[in-house]
Amino acid sequence: MAAAGRRVALHIYEWGNNVVCSVQHEDRGGTEDRVEERTVGVSESGSPLLEVRGLVKDYPGVRALGGVDLTVNSGQVHCLIGQNGAGKSTLIKCVSGLVEPTAGEVRFQGEPLPVGDPNASISRGIATIYQELDLVPHLSVALNVFLGHEHKRGPILNRAAMHRETEALLARLGDAGISPMAPVTALRPAQQQLVSMARALSHSVKLLILDEPSAVLDDVEVEALFGVVRRLATEGVGIIWISHRLGEVAELGDVVTVLKEGRTVATELPPDTPIDTLIRHMVGGRMEALFPDRRPFREETVLEVRGLTRTPDVHDASFDLREGEILGLGGLVGSGRTELLRAVYGLDPAQSGEVRIAGRRLPPGRPDLSIRAGLGFAPEERKSEGLWLDWSLIRNTTIADLSRFGRGPFTDRASERREASRHLRSLNTQPDAPERPARQFSGGNQQKAVLARWLLRSCRVLLLDEPTRGVDVGARSEIYRVIAELAANGIGIVMVSSELAELLGFCHRVLVLREGHIVDELDGATSTEEDILRSAVPVHHTMKAG
Amino acid sequence: MAVDTPTIDTKARLRQVPVQELVLPVVIIALIIVGVIIRPGVFLTSDNLLNVLTQASITGIIAIGMTFVIATGGIDLSVGSVLAAASIAGGLLVDYGSWMFMFGALGMALLLGSINGLAITWGKVVPFIATLAMLTIARGLALWMSQKTPISLIELNILQGFGSGRLLGIPVPAIVFVLVAIAGWVLLNRTTFGRHTLAVGGNRSAARIAGIRPGRIVFAVYVLTGLCVGISAILLSGRLASASPVVGNLVELDAIAAVVIGGTALTGGKATVTGTFFGVITFGLIFNLLNLLNMPSEIQGIVKGALILIAVALQRRD
Repeated sequence: MAAAGRRVALHIYEWGNNVVCSVQHEDRGGTEDRVEERTVGVSESGSPLLEVRGLVKDYPGVRALGGVDLTVNSGQVHCLIGQNGAGKSTLIKCVSGLVEPTAGEVRFQGEPLPVGDPNASISRGIATIYQELDLVPHLSVALNVFLGHEHKRGPILNRAAMHRETEALLARLGDAGISPMAPVTALRPAQQQLVSMARALSHSVKLLILDEPSAVLDDVEVEALFGVVRRLATEGVGIIWISHRLGEVAELGDVVTVLKEGRTVATELPPDTPIDTLIRHMVGGRMEALFPDRRPFREETVLEVRGLTRTPDVHDASFDLREGEILGLGGLVGSGRTELLRAVYGLDPAQSGEVRIAGRRLPPGRPDLSIRAGLGFAPEERKSEGLWLDWSLIRNTTIADLSRFGRGPFTDRASERREASRHLRSLNTQPDAPERPARQFSGGNQQKAVLARWLLRSCRVLLLDEPTRGVDVGARSEIYRVIAELAANGIGIVMVSSELAELLGFCHRVLVLREGHIVDELDGATSTEEDILRSAVPVHHTMKAG
Repeated sequence: MAVDTPTIDTKARLRQVPVQELVLPVVIIALIIVGVIIRPGVFLTSDNLLNVLTQASITGIIAIGMTFVIATGGIDLSVGSVLAAASIAGGLLVDYGSWMFMFGALGMALLLGSINGLAITWGKVVPFIATLAMLTIARGLALWMSQKTPISLIELNILQGFGSGRLLGIPVPAIVFVLVAIAGWVLLNRTTFGRHTLAVGGNRSAARIAGIRPGRIVFAVYVLTGLCVGISAILLSGRLASASPVVGNLVELDAIAAVVIGGTALTGGKATVTGTFFGVITFGLIFNLLNLLNMPSEIQGIVKGALILIAVALQRRD
């Protein structure tokens, strides 16, 4: 099993979780050190390539950045790490001109960079590769690379020249396997990423920003990408590498900057900084009291799932849930956790198998009947699937149970307001202004509105998909406390999470999914992260890694 | 964060002011002032103002239904043709009296509205195409059923009472329009159905997760629009004392225009019946003024189009 554990470590980052990454580090520790000697320098003028000072960005009701400092030099790989919501994305959007900062200064090659102007950033040589690649699917590789600055002869596109240059750019990135004429839809994600980088190079890039580039890649592709990034750095390009995977920092980075709650909490850290130190910077010593105590659950089974199948995502899933029990669903991204939850809820109909609430069978594909039977669901994509952002919190809270406020055919708005406010207040939703649109609340408080919706409906089972996604660390412990309290009141909870600490921190039981099957059942209190990982990682992946 | 709270409050409060719903009354008052200045003694008479309301009522009733369709993010291009088909369907029952006419007209309008709804929900055809198809189907139906000739309704006294009668000195169509508008406002703002309509238009997948069945709501709004068209068909046929297969041409555009300048978002999720009502009145006043000034109808078309452009461009500002 020890050997298996070693291989497992290569895949851990699919969790996008810091603590998991520390396992990776332990396994890799000292075995290989690929950081190459490289001249890290300053530009001819003597000033650094990029200098960010006191950057502040306010959104209505939320301060995304509260004073960020960052210095990047030419030829340097600068790793930027931090929790979800720490401000990494906002920072790079300010640098690339997509977002106009509220205050602070961005200097590029010693000169102030005009803010809120993407073209100014591009023309100075700043290129950003986002997680969601901005390629035009049905255009060829070459046309994507030269999109917006096509080579022309008169009004006619000069395809030959663009193909030639695209080939050269791709070769510079170390990949000759991509045809400039292929449509980008025909490429794998890793290849599409290279096309994005080729586009950046076509603009003679001086600063390349990569936003979680490894998230969509397997380990072989990640290694290849490391090679490309190192080569670009040797050519003198400054790199900002944003990642959740702390293991990558030691392997690739020259310097590390840690963001927390919109501030720079540590900068110019050496790449060999111990992972534990990085984590301490990221969470700020608040980790201990994060999880509430497990409380005993009851004997009565409230939810029964038998042989639930929805190909190709979920195969023959069966489990029981007791009243007041918190059941975690773990597994890699794509293992079918979310799909299982949605099939149980009846959102995506199952092809076979059954779901029973207190013995009553739920018809597939009918969330309205699932709700009537006592199910509630908080989706992962809270903003696009859970909320009406322009609606008040009151309306968002009452939408699933409007008819209870009916007076004849009309809605009793006074009692609607009263009931919604009561439930929102019981979850300590801040600020206590339920008339305000949901858009103005932080992620954690938006999540509370979704939970309040199901409290109001007095549901018996709550299905939570990544309940702390987009919730900042400080507010997370409160979401955990709320969930634990709901369970203590007898509500059964099924919770999908990518955070191992979350699954082990306060779930009674954890089911591990792999390729659509439930492959393991673990006790939440006594199991370790490695136990989950061992079951979660597909066998053929480990083969490939070994 | 504490520092920002006051500004956020003011901004939030400013944003809550329904600009669209305030702009139109101001425009309406301005139009009345202009009318008083250029046609003193003619414009500001109760007869003329009631005339405006009556003229606008046929389109206005349809626009109330259209507000619900657009609130779901849909569109109904077929209302003008359905108006004609409903009139003819009633006209075929002319020998059985006024009530049978109304039964026929409402029945046809509800039937065609249901077909729209089914095509969109069950057939998964986008609203634009489904109702575009219905636009030509319903017009063809009206011409075919009537053999291209208008049907005289001169015998139907009760029907003509609806179309051109008065109650307490107020034309019946104007009364019906106001009643439909009030019913529409209550339905949208004070009932579960209205809230669910906005929920589906604002965020369909969230609506489904919250236990709303979007298909039912979408089906219902097209049937509701059919009902409004049926009511309009009764009033229009009564006023003309005949059922004609060519009535209702371009009514869809007038109705959509009134809804849009009223402030309802074409993307769905945000709708105002009050705005639609004022939008209808605004157009009514403008055409009344242009008529009083003896402007030809082609000028009216240009003014209408320009007004739509300006109104929608202003909407995009916020």
